[in-house]
Formats: sequence, structure tokens, C-alpha cells
Amino acid sequence: MLELRIALRFLWRNKVQSVLIILGIAIGIAVQVFVGSLITSLQDSLVDETVGSSAHVSLEPAGGQVAFPFTAQDRATVSADPHVTAVAAVQNLSALVPLRDGSVPVSVKGGTLADLDSVYGLSDKLVSGEISLTGNHIAVGKDLAEQNGLAPGAAVQLVLADGSTVETVLEGVFDLGAQAANERSVFSGLELASSALGLPLDRVSGVEVQIADVFDSPEVAAGLQSVFPQITVSEWQAKNSDLLTALQSQSTSSYMIQVFVIIAVMLGIASTLAISAVQKTRQIGILKALGMSDAKTGLVFLYQAGILGVIGTVLGIVVSLALIAVFGVVAASGDSGLFPIEPRLGFVLLSAGIGIAIALISAIIPYRKTARLDPIQVIQGG
Amino acid sequence: MADTITVSNVTKEYGTAVKTKALRGVSFRVAGKEFLSIIGQSGSGKSTLLNLLGLLDRPTEGSVSLLGTDVGALSKKERAAFRNRHLGFVFQFHHLLPEFSVRENLLIPTWIGGSKGAAGVPAETRKRAEEILDFLGVGQVADKSAEQISGGQKQRVAIGRALMNSPDILLADEPTGNLDTENSALVYDLFRRIHREMGTTFVIVTHDRAIAQQTDRIIEVRDGLVSQDVQNEYLDGRGGSSK
Repeated sequence: MLELRIALRFLWRNKVQSVLIILGIAIGIAVQVFVGSLITSLQDSLVDETVGSSAHVSLEPAGGQVAFPFTAQDRATVSADPHVTAVAAVQNLSALVPLRDGSVPVSVKGGTLADLDSVYGLSDKLVSGEISLTGNHIAVGKDLAEQNGLAPGAAVQLVLADGSTVETVLEGVFDLGAQAANERSVFSGLELASSALGLPLDRVSGVEVQIADVFDSPEVAAGLQSVFPQITVSEWQAKNSDLLTALQSQSTSSYMIQVFVIIAVMLGIASTLAISAVQKTRQIGILKALGMSDAKTGLVFLYQAGILGVIGTVLGIVVSLALIAVFGVVAASGDSGLFPIEPRLGFVLLSAGIGIAIALISAIIPYRKTARLDPIQVIQGG
Repeated sequence: MADTITVSNVTKEYGTAVKTKALRGVSFRVAGKEFLSIIGQSGSGKSTLLNLLGLLDRPTEGSVSLLGTDVGALSKKERAAFRNRHLGFVFQFHHLLPEFSVRENLLIPTWIGGSKGAAGVPAETRKRAEEILDFLGVGQVADKSAEQISGGQKQRVAIGRALMNSPDILLADEPTGNLDTENSALVYDLFRRIHREMGTTFVIVTHDRAIAQQTDRIIEVRDGLVSQDVQNEYLDGRGGSSK
């Protein structure tokens, strides 16, 4: 490959210029991968904090009703949707917890431990005590426990809306990862909550569903609504439109940054290659006079761009992954307030493809310029 | 047997709005392996004629035939391939590629013409390059960069490059125009030896009559026309036998 050999010699001859353009591409790609991964991880983190430990799709009683029947057959129907990963039949009730300094409002969610674990992962989020949710045992959020001096083994009275009381025992404290949830959440067994509401076990006040991709929730909700027309089906995106708008704005600004970075890199490579084409006019003219075709002389610059693009892109990805690793170490070391960035292979490969593609696109100008070069101008110009 | 070169009533115009005629009906033939020069003042059209013979340009009218091939009918790519296979160029300026060594500069025409490019140069080609370098007296600088050798050596390497593909015709444009007297004489002697030993047809374009008078045949171009086409020993009223 004569064209490749010439391209390598041209690059080697102008080492400083080559290194500078490689660094330019590397920085561009590193910014692209780092910013892209940062924004994606931030969004994942926000979504996870918002809906990671809650229902993505909820089945609730239609207007005026407090509960609806939910049979094993109904559960099987919901679970049959391929998007669905967890289904929890629950009893929801509001209550007050009387304490020395007044009463604290709480949301009690009753369900089997298996169901609640499948949606909330309670067993994995336990920070003290244990969790069985049998009999009159309950578990409360970390902040609710800490702010009110509650510890496993403590007796906790729940005062319901009708003034009746339920005596319970605190057996475990969990951390859902969000302060608001930790301040108000109480989990109990299904029997205790059903009894408090005066409902039989085959009627529930809600069914909570989690799905694999949280952004599929409108589709899943619509599907379930068609199957259960007598029940109100809602989904998390409809309830969090502000968050979605913020995420969308963030995505747009991220894309803008990435597009401008790409344009800057492309202009940098294009201008450098254009300068290189001018610098190498004499050599190209002679090669043409010696019988090299227009297409092959153009290929010299395409190869140069490809070599610069590949080296710069690989270097950029290495730099970005190193930055992400450093970010991860800082995030993991205490109260930095940072979250770990998780680069996605698909995005990294896409960025690599973009890096190499823009380098090749940047070679179009010198390619065309070289193809048009008349060797006579060079020979007579000296 | 076909002529080596046949130029038939060639004209060459430049410009679009205002046209300038560089050649106005030039015709001549070169049969066999000749050693000839084309002379003329600056602007006479001699370099334009060389560009046409070197397939670097196309005539406006008329035809150029090299080795029996009407080169006007060839595509741009075919002309490049013909140039590589059958023609050698020596320019006033050496035009070596500074990115390559002396030996590599010699090999470039074979790389261009070879199906494998720069990879897998046959041993006999490498041997030929060594022989040419030795023949030209620059074998000792074969591994040096083209930038690291003297002006005279550079021009000899440029001649070697022109010879690498064993061209049928070697076109030289003011080949000694940038050299001192000693190196000019050396280059001329080399041309003579190559012509004698390799049987290559030489067409040397020069404005220097002293150089031209050392060639066997002189074609003088004046105002875009061939004004004289004579055997050397009879030039300028010394007897004269026009072709």
C-alpha cells in the first residue's frame, strides 16, 4: 500500500503537527465520552432515585372505591406482560405515629415480604434489625427512625384516619435512598394492613408493578388498562412530568455540547489536513507526474485522516475511561456528593465510530484539492 | 515498426475569454532511439510541447502518438499508467521526496506501477535500483535522506528514478538548469551513457544552445512553431539538413 506508506511518512515528517492533531481528536473524544456518560449516568441516577424503589405502573381502585379484587389469575395476567419484572399487591393506608413531641404522619404499605421485596428490595436495604413482616411487625425508614429515636424492638402505635389504633412492634429499619421516602414510609404484613382497613385478603387497595425499562411505562399502563377496564391504571411518567422535562432539557444540552465538540474537532482536523495538503503539494505533483492516479494521491490524505482518527480516538477513549475511573474513586470515597459514572459500551463504540468518521469526513477537502492538482504547476513552479 | 514519437499538427491554446496559442501546428516524428533536444526562447512553447509529450497535458487540436499509441484517446487513469510504464522524467529541480531515502526515491515509480504498491518489491527490482545507483555514482548515499545529499547527487538520483521502470522515452526539462558547469557536464555524460547502453530515447528541452549542440538532433521551437529541425552537426548554417 504505497498510499499508506506515503501517508505514514508525511505524518512522521511533521511529527509535532501530527501529535497536536491527535491530541485535539483525543480531547474531543474524551470530552464526548465523559460528558455523554456523565449525563447518562446522572439521568439513570435521578430516575433510579425517583422510581427505582417504587411502582412504575400502579393499579388503583376506580373513583369512589377503596379496594378491588385481585386474584391469582389477575396476578398471572399482569406478570405475563414481558416488560413486567415485579408485581406487588398492597394495602395502602395513612396513619399517625404518636410520639413524645407530637404525631408524625406516615404512609403504611402492607404486603407480603416477597411482594414488597420484589418492588422495594427491603431485605437488601435493611440498615438495622431484621425484617419478616409477620404478625404485628413493621419496618420503618431510616430517617423516620433516627428523627424519632425509634430502634428495633420499640412499640409503635399507628393511629388510623377513623381514630382507631393498631399496636405494632418495630423489627427493622431500612434505607430507600431518598430522604422523603425514609421519613414517611412504614411497611407491614398484608394481614395487618388488611385488618386495619377492614378488607378481606383477596381485595387490595393497590397493585404496584415494576418494569424492565422505566420509560416503557405508558405502553405497559395502556396495555393493563385495556385488560382491567374497571381499575384505574397510572404510570410514573404522568406523575413526574417536571422531572421528565428536566431530563429532556439535560439530554438536549448534552447533545448540543457533544455536537459542538464534534464540530470543533472536525474543523481542527480539516484545517490541519488542508494545511498538510498545501505543504505536500510538490510531493503530490511529482507522484502524479510519475504516474500515480488522482484517486490514489487523494487516498494519501484519507489514510492520514484515518490514522490520526484511529490513534486520536483510541487515546481519547483511554483518557475518558481513566477520567471516569478517577471520578468513580472520588464518588466512592465518602460524602463527595458524586455518583459513579458507568460508561456504556454501545455509547463508547458509537463515540469511537464518530471520531474516526469525522476524521475521514475532514479529509474530503484535501482529497478533492489533491485530485484537482495539476502536476505541471508543480514541475514548472520548482 | 511504429515511430517512437509522432506529433501531428498540434496546437495548444490557453485561456477562455482571451485565448493564447502556445503551439500553432507543430509536427515532427522521432523514429527509433534518438537523442534529441528541443530548444527555444522562454515562452516559445517548448515546455508546453514537453508537457504534451509527457502526457501531462492534452493538445487543443492535432494528435500525439507515443510508441504507436494515440495517447489522446487514453483516459486520465490510462495516461497516468502509460506515463509510469513508458516515460521517465527529469526536471530542472530534482523534485525528490524528502520523506524518503535515496533508495526509496528510486523505487517510487516501481511502487506506483506495481500491483502490490510499496509491499513486496521483487529482489530483481531492488538489485536494479542498486545497479542504477552505482551506475550514477550515488550508491554510497542510498540510505541517506534525499535532503542529506548534494545538489549534483540529487539530480543524479532524479535521473535514476526516471530510469527505474526502464522507460522507452526519457523527457528532461532543463535538466542542468540548476547545476554548476561540472555537474552539468556529468549529467550530460550520464545521459549519453544511458542512451548508448540502455537504448532509451532522450528528449531534452533546454534554452541552452551549448547543451543542445551536444545532442544528435535539434528541434527549435519559435512562436509556437517548429522553426528548425536539423541534425546537430549542420545546425545554424553549418551545412544543414532539415528533416
